[in-house]
Amino acid sequence: MNAVVKPRSARLLGSRWLVIAVPYLWLLVFFAIPLAIAFKISFSQAAIAMPPYTPIVNWVDGHPSLDIHLKNYLYLVNDSLYVNAYLSSIKIAVISTILCLLIGYPMAYAIARMPAATRNIALMLVILPSWTSFLIRIYAWIGILKNNGLLNNFLLWTGLIDQPLAIMHTPVAVYIGIVYAYLPFMVLPLYANLVKLDLRLLEAASDLGAKPWKAFLKVTLPLSKSGIIAGSMLVMIPVVGEFVIPEMLGGPDTLMIGRILWQEFFNNRDWPVASAVSIVMLLLLIIPIMIFHRAQSREMEGRLA
Amino acid sequence: MNQSSQKATGSKPDKVKTDNYVRIEGLRKEFDGFVAVDDVSFSIRKGEIFALLGASGCGKSTLLRMLAGFERPTAGSILLDDEDIVGLAPFDRPINMMFQSYALFPHMSVEDNVAFGLKQDGMGKDEIQARVNEMLGLVQMGKLAKRKPHQLSGGQQQRVALARSLAKSPKLLLLDEPMGALDKKLRSQMQIELVNIVERLGVTCVMVTHDQEEAMTMAHRIAVMDAGRIRQLGTPDEIYEQPNCRFTAEFIGSVNLFEGRIEEDEKDYVTIRTPALEKPIYVGHGVTGYDGMSVAFAIRPEKIAISKDEPALSYNKVQGVIEEIAYFGSHSVYHVRLANGSKVLCNFVNLKRWASENFTWNDSVWLSWKDNAGVVLTS
Repeated sequence: MNAVVKPRSARLLGSRWLVIAVPYLWLLVFFAIPLAIAFKISFSQAAIAMPPYTPIVNWVDGHPSLDIHLKNYLYLVNDSLYVNAYLSSIKIAVISTILCLLIGYPMAYAIARMPAATRNIALMLVILPSWTSFLIRIYAWIGILKNNGLLNNFLLWTGLIDQPLAIMHTPVAVYIGIVYAYLPFMVLPLYANLVKLDLRLLEAASDLGAKPWKAFLKVTLPLSKSGIIAGSMLVMIPVVGEFVIPEMLGGPDTLMIGRILWQEFFNNRDWPVASAVSIVMLLLLIIPIMIFHRAQSREMEGRLA
Repeated sequence: MNQSSQKATGSKPDKVKTDNYVRIEGLRKEFDGFVAVDDVSFSIRKGEIFALLGASGCGKSTLLRMLAGFERPTAGSILLDDEDIVGLAPFDRPINMMFQSYALFPHMSVEDNVAFGLKQDGMGKDEIQARVNEMLGLVQMGKLAKRKPHQLSGGQQQRVALARSLAKSPKLLLLDEPMGALDKKLRSQMQIELVNIVERLGVTCVMVTHDQEEAMTMAHRIAVMDAGRIRQLGTPDEIYEQPNCRFTAEFIGSVNLFEGRIEEDEKDYVTIRTPALEKPIYVGHGVTGYDGMSVAFAIRPEKIAISKDEPALSYNKVQGVIEEIAYFGSHSVYHVRLANGSKVLCNFVNLKRWASENFTWNDSVWLSWKDNAGVVLTS
């Protein structure tokens, strides 16, 4: 019997490995190796050289000697600029996530309750803007928000204001840009969750005496928890490292770690500090990612059982 | 269970009130021009189990959803204990429902599910806990109170759903296809258990089912529905033994119909001329009809006797050939082809072992019945 089973399972195993190997190879070449390089650079010293940092392993008389520096990391802790940038990034990410949730939840809820035909159109409208380049869409917001932009001209025309509002280059502009750009990432997982909600559960809640608002709080909201977590993670994680939006819409005082990273790398040409900044950012993001992962695996467990 | 409840309601002084505990008058529901429930009127007695029986699309579920408040009637009124509830939202009605697939809240434990309705009433914590324990004890689910619904079997989920719908002591309990999600063996066991619980609490209960066996086992009275109307309303035995139309006769159980015309219409008997029999059928009860009226004579297969020799009766007998045999162990069903080509079903109870071997395929047999074995259907 073994003789019959073995080749078949071996063949299956082979094809399984092949399927798994392709994405893993991709991740290895374009994610793991660059990350390892950045990690290595974060322990070296800046130098006026090509590449602009000192090597970690020196060969003196055929003997290797290690040259590891922790001062990049100490520098991040000691210089308040970095600590503030991290905190400010996280603050902006958290606030934008909450804003996206507050706007995205009703949107996703409304779409999920639409008749099937209009539902697809509404989903299309959510996705459609991302068919244009991200950069162009953020540029468009400059045209809307600047002092003599669309919004101010419109408000002046209606007579609501007599002085143009200074929105451009303020945190408000950054929030507008972030919420605009990341809203679909909130709406889509929430929609996918809410559309699966068994409406009989709401009928049951109503039948047992719960008014619609109470039924929402006690049934719909807790059952959409995994969608809320998924959407929040999809917004929060990339927003922490966001560079384009604060650079284009924010003022010089908009402190975000993505901008610091850019400045360290391109303006100061301090690759080791830039690498350390990115490694610390990654570590900070791992915490919410792990929470997300735990919530998701718990959800899967519930489904399968 | 039938007799006991009827006796109980009959002996009460305010019989009219208990007889009309739920009063449905001229109830109608249209969906975009399609009439789902068509001017239905009936009353439900206090403490009875009332079944709405019909095929899918007959309007029974719509009727139940109007009672629960999920659908708004196009016209008509629903009075519960002399109070018009049509204008009330589902969460304001003293009515609870056990849903077809139970609709248990998946994120809540068994006890939280049962407590849900009580919490909406703003009941105290200790009081809720006591009531939840009582309810879970009633359905024998006390040990699994901390489990989540997905950790329960279908039968256990149903018990929880029942406990949840009974927890608020509703004036009216609605059961939507209560056994629909259970396998056959568990079903018959749960049917009896559910009836016992409901009767012990004295809850008035309306159930919807497409399964006639379920309706007949569980309900005190049954309303047979078709195309949005009630075709017949009565106790299970009334509906089975005294169908009032061809539809109910054919819907409930199996039946042989002989189409014919009334030949003699007297006070205490009628005779019906039918092409299937040589002599007219003699029926020992009068009908409100006239001579020559087109009617059908309906007779259940178990009320027809089958024999090799010609029976001594002078009427209600016919000869045929056994075409098919269905052997059920306890009884056999013979499909007998008559001379005029029509087919008659006849049950034969296998009283003795191997009794079924008396008849076999292509045997020529006599079928006969007594004058009170069947009914005349005028519609």
